[in-house]
Amino acid sequence: MLEIKGIRKTFNAGTVNEVRALQGVDLTIEEGSFVVVLGMNGSGKSTLLNAVAGSFYVDQGKISIAGKNVTKWPEHKRAQLIGRVFQNPFSGTAPDMSIAENFAMAAMRGKNRGLGWALSPKVTDALRERVVTLKMGLEDRIENAIGSLSGGQRQALTLLMATWLKPSLLLLDEHTAALDPKSAHQVITLTDEVVKRDKLTTLMVTHSMQQAVNLGDRIIMMNKGKIAYDFSGPEKKRLRTEDLLDCFEEIRRREQLDESTAAMLAEQYI
Amino acid sequence: MTLLLGSLTIGLILALLAMGVYVSFRIFDIPDITTDGSITLGAATAAILIVNGTHPVLATLAGAAAGAVAGTVTGILHTKFKINALLAGILVMTALYSVNLHVMGRSNVPLLQTENVTDYGADIGHAIVGSEDMDIFGWETDTADFFVMVLAAFFVAFVGALLYWFFRTNVGTAMRATGNNPQMIRALGANVERYVVFGLAVSNGLVALAGAILAQYQGFADAQMGIGMIVWGLASVIIGEALVGERSLGLTIIGAVMGSVLFRLLVAIALRWGLNPNDLKLITAVFVFAALVLPGFIKKLKPNKPAAS
Ligand SMILES: Nc1ncnc2c1ncn2[C@@H]1O[C@H](COP(=O)(O)OP(=O)(O)OP(=O)(O)O)[C@@H](O)[C@H]1O
Ligand SMILES: [Mg+2]
Repeated sequence: MLEIKGIRKTFNAGTVNEVRALQGVDLTIEEGSFVVVLGMNGSGKSTLLNAVAGSFYVDQGKISIAGKNVTKWPEHKRAQLIGRVFQNPFSGTAPDMSIAENFAMAAMRGKNRGLGWALSPKVTDALRERVVTLKMGLEDRIENAIGSLSGGQRQALTLLMATWLKPSLLLLDEHTAALDPKSAHQVITLTDEVVKRDKLTTLMVTHSMQQAVNLGDRIIMMNKGKIAYDFSGPEKKRLRTEDLLDCFEEIRRREQLDESTAAMLAEQYI
Repeated sequence: MTLLLGSLTIGLILALLAMGVYVSFRIFDIPDITTDGSITLGAATAAILIVNGTHPVLATLAGAAAGAVAGTVTGILHTKFKINALLAGILVMTALYSVNLHVMGRSNVPLLQTENVTDYGADIGHAIVGSEDMDIFGWETDTADFFVMVLAAFFVAFVGALLYWFFRTNVGTAMRATGNNPQMIRALGANVERYVVFGLAVSNGLVALAGAILAQYQGFADAQMGIGMIVWGLASVIIGEALVGERSLGLTIIGAVMGSVLFRLLVAIALRWGLNPNDLKLITAVFVFAALVLPGFIKKLKPNKPAAS
C-alpha cells in the first residue's frame, strides 16, 4: 500500500530554470492494486516515481509505503520496500557482471549484505529454474556478462530482479519504451504475469494507451505536476483507448484556453 | 642474478600498489591520485615507528592503516562534499606531502641499521638452506635475497586471495557493482557513498602497505618516493589485463600482480640497456596513455560489428 499526501517538488527553485514538477499530489494505492500512470511529456510522471523511490526528497508532503513513513528515508533504505525497473535497459543491471551475480545482488535487496559468499548454489539453482520460464535461452548463459544481452532480455531480467524478493511496491517507469515491439510485448506480458502472480502493488508509467487499457485496475493521468484524471473499478474496465485520447484532448483544450485567457488579460491590463 | 631477484622482489612489493590501484581504478572506476601520497605515508609511518623501536610488523600494519585513513578522507571529500573524485585525490595528495614531512621530521629516514620485515625472509632462508649462498639452476645466489623474494611472493598471494574472497562476498559483489552501475545497486539498497569511501580506504591501505614494505626493503623512506606511483600502478593493471584479459575477478587480480612484476623487469632491463633514469616517468606516462587510447582506436579501425538488439 502506498500513501502520498500533498507532495510538492520544485527543481532549481528561485532560478530562471525553476520547474514546479509536482504541485500537490495526493494518491492512495491499495495493497495489490496495479496503477497505470499516463500523461504528456514533462507532466511529472517520472518525478512522481522518483519522489516515491527517494531519488530526491520532496519539498512538502508525506509518503508512506506499507504503513511506514518513508518521507525522510534515503533512496537505498527505501529499496527494502521498493522494486524498480527503469526506462533505460542499461540502468537496471551491472553490465560487466554475470547474470548470476546480478541476481545474487537482487536477492539481497534492502538486506544487510554480509561476508557470505555471493554466488551460493541456492541462488544459482533458483535463478536457473526461474530463468527457464522466460524461454529466452538464458539458463545456459547465467555465467555470461549481462551487458552481452539485448535490451529486451535485460529488461526482462531486471523485472525478475526487482521482484525476486517480493517488494511492497513495484515502480515501472516506461520500462518497455526503449524496446522493439516484439520485446516490448514480451516484457509487458511478463510484467502482467509477475504482478498478478505475486499480487504486487504496482505503479507503472507508460505512453501506450493500449497498455493502459489492457493492464491494471486503475489509471491516473497527470498534467502539470498534478493528477488530472483518476479512473478505477468498473469505470477503468470500460475505458477504451479513444476515451483516453479524449482526456488528452480535453487537457490540451483547457491549456489552450488558459493561454488565450492569459493573452486576453495581458492585452487588457498591460 | 642479484639484479633479477631485486627487480622481482620490488615488482612483487609494488604488486600490492597495483592491487590497490586496481581496486580504485577498475572496481570503483575512480582514478585516485591519493595513491602518490599514501604510498609515501605508509613508508614514512612505518619507517619512523621502526626507528623509534616499534615491532616491524606492527609498524607495517600502522603504515597501511595510515593509508586507509588517507583514502577515507578522499572518499569523504568526494561523497559528502561532492568534490570531483580526481580533485579530491589531488587535494589529499597535496596535503599528504606536508603530513609526510611532519611524520618523518625530515625528508628522508634511513632504515639500514634496524631490524625489519625483510629480515624474516632472510632468517627463514638461512634456517632452511643453512648457508649464506645457495644454488638456483646453477646460479650462485644470495640465500637472503632469494627468500625475501619468496616471502614477498607468498605475502602478495595471500593479500590477493583475501581481495578475491572479499569481492566475491555479498558486500564485495555489491561494491563491484558500485563502479559498474551505481544507480542499479542503489536501487537494490546499497549505500553507494559508504561503499566508495570504504573502497578508497582499502585501495590506499594496500598502497600504503606497499610503501611500508618497500621502505624496509630499500632501506629508507623518502618524501619524494610517491611521485608518479599512480601511473606506475595503472601501467601494471593495464599490462595485467593485456596478459590475462579483464573478464574474471580472479584473473584480473593475478594479472595486476603479473603486470607489476613484468613492468619492473622491463624497466630494469631498459635501465641496464642505458635508458636515462630521468626519462622513466615520461615513458611510463606515454605507455599508459597508449594503453588507454589504443584499444578504442583499434576498435574504430575494425569494421563495425552489428550491435546486439
Ligand atoms: N532532476 C531534475 N532537475 C531539473 N528539472 C527536472 C528534473 N527532473 C525532472 N525535471 C523537470 O520536471 C518536469 C517533469 O519531468 P518528468 O521527468 O517527471 O516528466 P515525465 O512526465 O516523466 O515526462 P516524460 O513522459 O517525457 O518522461 C520536466 O519539466 C522536467 O524537465
Ligand atoms: Mg518520464
